[in-house]
Amino acid sequence: MTRKTSKSTPLHRAARLFARECKDGTLSRREFLTRATALGVAAPAAYGLLGLVAPQARAQTPQMGGTLRMQMDIKAQRDPRTWDWSELANVCRGWLEYLVSYERDGTVQPVLLESWEANDDATIYTLKLRSGVTWNNGDVFTASHVAHNIERWCDASVEGNSMAGRMSALSDGGKLREGAVEIVDDLTLRLHLSSPDISIIVNMADYPAAVVHPSFTGDDPVANPIGTGPYRPVSHDTGIGAVIERNPDHTWWNEGNGAYLDRIEFLDLGTDPAAWMAAAEGGEIDMTYQTTGDFVDLFEMIGLPKSEAITASTLAVRFNQTQAPYDNVNVRRALQMAVNNAIVLELGYNDLGTVAENHHVCPIHPEYADIGTTSFDPEAAKAMIAAEGLADHEFELISIDDNWQAATCDSVAAQIRAAGINIKRTILPGATFWNDWLNYPFSSTEWNMRPLGVQVLNLAYRSGEAWNEAGFSNAEFDALLDEANGIADADARREVMAKIQQILLDEGVLIQPYWRSLYRNKRDTILNAEMHPTFEVRYQHYALS
Amino acid sequence: MLVFLARRIGVMLVTALCLTFVVFYLTNIPAKLETLAKTQAGSRISDSEVASWLERNGYNQPMLWRYGEWLGVAPGWTRARDDGTMRGRCYTLTGLAEPGAAPTRCGLAQGYWGNSTRFRAPVSEVIRARLGATGWLMLWVLIVMVPMALVVGVLAGMREGSRTDRALSTFAIASTATPEYVSGVVFIALFASSTVGLSPLLVSWGWIDGPVLFQGNARSALERITFWNFALPVMTVALYGMGYIARITRASMTEVMTQQYIRTARLKGVSFANIVLRHALRNALIAPFTVIMLQIPWLLNGVVIVEVLFSYPGFGWTLFEAAANNDIELLLAASVVAVLVVLITQLISDIGYVYLNPRIRVT
Repeated sequence: MTRKTSKSTPLHRAARLFARECKDGTLSRREFLTRATALGVAAPAAYGLLGLVAPQARAQTPQMGGTLRMQMDIKAQRDPRTWDWSELANVCRGWLEYLVSYERDGTVQPVLLESWEANDDATIYTLKLRSGVTWNNGDVFTASHVAHNIERWCDASVEGNSMAGRMSALSDGGKLREGAVEIVDDLTLRLHLSSPDISIIVNMADYPAAVVHPSFTGDDPVANPIGTGPYRPVSHDTGIGAVIERNPDHTWWNEGNGAYLDRIEFLDLGTDPAAWMAAAEGGEIDMTYQTTGDFVDLFEMIGLPKSEAITASTLAVRFNQTQAPYDNVNVRRALQMAVNNAIVLELGYNDLGTVAENHHVCPIHPEYADIGTTSFDPEAAKAMIAAEGLADHEFELISIDDNWQAATCDSVAAQIRAAGINIKRTILPGATFWNDWLNYPFSSTEWNMRPLGVQVLNLAYRSGEAWNEAGFSNAEFDALLDEANGIADADARREVMAKIQQILLDEGVLIQPYWRSLYRNKRDTILNAEMHPTFEVRYQHYALS
Repeated sequence: MLVFLARRIGVMLVTALCLTFVVFYLTNIPAKLETLAKTQAGSRISDSEVASWLERNGYNQPMLWRYGEWLGVAPGWTRARDDGTMRGRCYTLTGLAEPGAAPTRCGLAQGYWGNSTRFRAPVSEVIRARLGATGWLMLWVLIVMVPMALVVGVLAGMREGSRTDRALSTFAIASTATPEYVSGVVFIALFASSTVGLSPLLVSWGWIDGPVLFQGNARSALERITFWNFALPVMTVALYGMGYIARITRASMTEVMTQQYIRTARLKGVSFANIVLRHALRNALIAPFTVIMLQIPWLLNGVVIVEVLFSYPGFGWTLFEAAANNDIELLLAASVVAVLVVLITQLISDIGYVYLNPRIRVT
């Protein structure tokens, strides 16, 4: 496991505050860990603040060597900052590493960084790089390399560069802002943010934030695999599979704490879980990338136990407010009131998660405020729709043809229908669904989790954002979100968050039925390969027992 | 004979041209191009980014013009980069960047098949590798299917109406009436599941070591074909094709068996086995030969289903992937290959027919 080597910097003021709240019971332990580590407190120290000992890696001893075969989609590679699927990142994790990583327990851990520190209003971050890190071509990893990567991330002129939005506090006019990154010495960087942003460090754990060598120009990190990690690619065939092997010519900075496996083989067996089943039965794969629905139990039956991750991933059944009749807040609220989220969870997702509250902030997020949710009242819903003169209107709910997403929308539509409102369901194949996902009047979109509650709100509900599929535009909401983005203090931010969540409820922005738990199935002999809430496959830590 | 061949090749070219145009048209309607841009540059990019991607990659010209580019009759698109180097269809395909270094036209006529957007590789490479995989599948299918079909057909047809005939005919009709997507799934459930079907029984009797009898997934056959990983896909395709050929063989056999010369031979006291093997068989095999050749294009259908079902990356699987990802140039190349397969097998069947049946002339 990654761990900080030394820690002489003083603890962040807010971290002690959080620790007190955690002990008082106003902050859950998981929330505390996310927040304290995001402020630069090392995980063992954070656990220490609570009077606990940081959990150690599993007791079972990992064995050196062996081959792991895993089912995972292999897509055509491209520039890491434009990655739009976690699978693209997972293939390259063995050689392209990250500055920090987001862990299963909600903490942020240093990887290529040794530590980081924020000032009191979260506008200046000091990053200390790990010493002794080399690229696999022999170059020494320095602060200028990190600065180069941040500059790449800030370049909004590259199509599909989703890092640009995550680094907005460092950029100006679609480029890195002059003076935003200051190189203090070979191993120290200082970031000067234009506005307070508490999510900038966790954003660097996101999958498109892979750190590439300055010589990387092309769009295929597999063809030119210069990285800091212990593995290297052997082959990569889109749609078929990829093979990764331990790099014998490179000394990894974390030697001895990983890189157990000799070889990892990814097999792309298509999208049909029945085909994965057949492959697992024939002994051709040892673990799945992600298993959903009934297949979680089916794989268990054939000897691949499940591994669960609790997440803030969800399905947003959202209205597009720019289109009639959803420009009317009463229509949106009425449709929300017709749906009981607990029933959607049960019928649409086999109860594999927790009920959500229609405002896209999850109880596991640090800043979650418990403000209740929309009341379930089908009769009032019908009356409201009738009052808007839409009693005979036929609504249409669009979804992708994916198993659980379609089932969830079916269950939403069934309840709306049961309330006496006309609605039809449309299911589109994946290839056509994504063409227009931002503009469907009423449809569902899968949202993966972000570690902080403000992050998804920044991406999905701020006025004019690229992924604002709800067409939501509310000046008060934007202003409050800006405010929340700069508040490190827990209760203070939660107060703002309560207002933000209330606006989302008042405006009836979306029906958000549940938070998903994620599963994968793997053989007992595989260690350290638990399901990760953001789908990470860190095979440099996987091992066979 | 030469005129016949020339005419056939002409028909082949015209068919390929028509088919590729239809495919080109369908894959180039605006919504499809948008799909392509999104699979290439990020599934959640904005509309303006889509437009700029299409513009930069030469997809914004009239469709007929671009079809001409692909054929190699129209000059390929070019753009000057900021740093003075050039990008364009021909620059990408030849890997050159100096202005003027690449040829103006680079399409089929010049031998360029284009690049696959799904697999990020030259189409010719993808098709060659995948056709190789399908070649092995088809070879084993033919090795299993043809002898089985002929034996069933001949046995059924030599005594029309007998119990053997009824039983074998029922089997043949059942097998040809079961589509691959049904028989494939049934086979997997029967032979390749550790919880249902035969495998758990065999395991409890201690007859097999592994959890399953056959592999329900043929991916490992890409590296090494074994009986255990290839049996199910081969049987799935072979059974479907077998029934039809067996029916035709039976019909042809029964017809021959009622001929005067067979009756004469019997009256002269020739043994039944001799009649069937020496006198009836050669004449009875003319019709099945044509059918076997014509069955090959049909098998390509089944190959798409079976390769996807068993995750065996061959030609059918490639066709499916190309269609699902709107990989324009790969789809076009795949349709050209499909036309070639259909017409070449027809040609072989026509020519072979002439040699088997001297009464027929090709002209």
